[in-house]
Amino acid sequence: MADVELKAVAKSFGKVPVCRGVDLRIADGEFVTLLGPSGCGKTTTLNLIAGLEDASAGDILIGGRRVNHLTPFERDVAMVFQNYALYPHMTVAENIGFTLRLRGLPRDEIRRRVAALAASLELGPVLDRLPAQLSGGQQQRVALGRAIIREPQVFLFDEPFSNLDSGLRIRLRAEIKELHQRLRVTSIFVTHDQEEALSLSDRIAVMREGRVEQYGTPAEVYARPVSRYVARFIGSPPMDFLPGQITNENGIPAFRMGAIAVPLEAGVADAPGGATGPCEFGVRPEHVVLGSAGAPATVRLVQPVGASTFVTVAWDGGSLIARVPGMASFTPGERVHFSMAPRHVMLFDAASGRRVSMPGEAGVINPSPDWTRRPA
Amino acid sequence: MRSIVAVGLASFTFLAVAPLLWMLISSVMQQQALTSTPPDFSAGSFTLDNYVKVFSSAAALGRGFLNSFIVALSTTAAALAIGAPAAYALARLSVPGANPILMMILATQMFPGIVIAIPLFIAMSRLGLIDTQLALIIVYLSFNLPIVVWILRGFFLAIPAGLERAAAVDGATMVQVFSLIVLPISIAPLFATAVFAFIESWNEFFFALILTRQSAQTAPLVISQFAGQYQTVFGQMMAAATLAVAPVVALAVVFRNRIMRGFAEGMVKG
Repeated sequence: MADVELKAVAKSFGKVPVCRGVDLRIADGEFVTLLGPSGCGKTTTLNLIAGLEDASAGDILIGGRRVNHLTPFERDVAMVFQNYALYPHMTVAENIGFTLRLRGLPRDEIRRRVAALAASLELGPVLDRLPAQLSGGQQQRVALGRAIIREPQVFLFDEPFSNLDSGLRIRLRAEIKELHQRLRVTSIFVTHDQEEALSLSDRIAVMREGRVEQYGTPAEVYARPVSRYVARFIGSPPMDFLPGQITNENGIPAFRMGAIAVPLEAGVADAPGGATGPCEFGVRPEHVVLGSAGAPATVRLVQPVGASTFVTVAWDGGSLIARVPGMASFTPGERVHFSMAPRHVMLFDAASGRRVSMPGEAGVINPSPDWTRRPA
Repeated sequence: MRSIVAVGLASFTFLAVAPLLWMLISSVMQQQALTSTPPDFSAGSFTLDNYVKVFSSAAALGRGFLNSFIVALSTTAAALAIGAPAAYALARLSVPGANPILMMILATQMFPGIVIAIPLFIAMSRLGLIDTQLALIIVYLSFNLPIVVWILRGFFLAIPAGLERAAAVDGATMVQVFSLIVLPISIAPLFATAVFAFIESWNEFFFALILTRQSAQTAPLVISQFAGQYQTVFGQMMAAATLAVAPVVALAVVFRNRIMRGFAEGMVKG
């Protein structure tokens, strides 16, 4: 086992830069996810760590040793690929034992180790089958087995669930998490699925255009996104953003969006680095409260999903989604009032997209119980 | 719509099969019946005499078949042994100038054979290779290799790169990736390509004609000699030709599924 460190790692394909200086420190035994949309450089970063691509610049360290010049095998990493990449002409046992065979281990020992591992992965009965004869879940477990049998220093996962149906995804997600809790091998997982990232990781690196935009625990990236980009990427349905303006309403600094204005406590608008002028206001669905208090709005759309219901409410100048527990009975056209849990609203600079204020952080909003109201 | 397709396919099949069918019919007809106008298809015209006569002059034909087999098999084996690694390198490794190399390989196919016939003859005679199997193997190899490289490269490109990456992470060297992963999963396309190269060499006539005299003559040449200066013994010629076609047809029929699958697999990705 080992820690992994990336220092200003860059990679270009021809003239196209894909990684523009990635810095990451992954502690020994940690489970880190590289999260981002396609084209953000997450898979390339993983390939650079694996040694499947050569870095154009920067240093890659595994266990404190610079590994830039080493082959994937010499780096002692194991990788689970998208679509598994099982060898189609080899049986399950041969697939799992391939790496041991390449190392020249005696046949008996290979057979013994493969059998032991297969039993723990519930693959015992299918050891003599070809990959094509397995279910999706079994194929996934063979891919895991092939990685585990090496007892590597680092596990790398490249979107291993991207082609599975959602039920299987959730089950295998749990299996991978369990496996990590059992083996405690440093793991790096690439995905574009924010839910996968939140549920699996010790820390998440949200990537954007070849750089790490934010690196933190799931709680941090969810509750304190550094930018609109991160805030929008994490959470489902995503955070709502409402454009508006810092204004002065009867002598009180406020955030105005269309017909409603949100008063801001002293210190938000004029704090160093605080918001001025055009901003965006962000709030997650679970922090919008529908009830008799707050600003009036009209229900436009009701989407029950079982454990909760997503209700879209609109007013003159904006709309947002509220998450209501259970199968709530709202009907489109219904008049409601909404308010927002003040601790959880965020302001983003309209130009840079960076978050500029945060409740509980130094020099920002003090929550006030009736902070949402119609302007006088 | 279906009937139009059916008629179209039937016509093409007829065009393709008719010469073979005529060969087969001619091979079992008497010379007189065959050369009368119109041909006499009455029961008495059919005979196996032609085959009997062909087999009785077996010495020359037997040698021709043996030469053909040796030349075609050697050519096929060499074409695959050299062509498969070359195709893989051009498909997967960052070979400097891979595209110009591929274009040059393709360009060699654009010259008509006749253009190089005389230089080739001179070269072979200086090397003392006239009338040897080796001369034919070298020439056929040079014709087959470019095609083998192009076809196999297409197949190798269609293999998911993840497999080779997985093998690299598992600790396989480049040679091991090729021999333990790529070749075993390419058996169908390799087989299809081998059949192609074999048939090309087996059927070749022109270069065999100019580069051999007696001892290295291949089956097509021996068969052609049934056409004499004053008389062409059509029946015997066609009987011999039927015998020459038989191994190729047998190859195609027995392995038709593998051949079809081989080419179909290559079509997954262009």
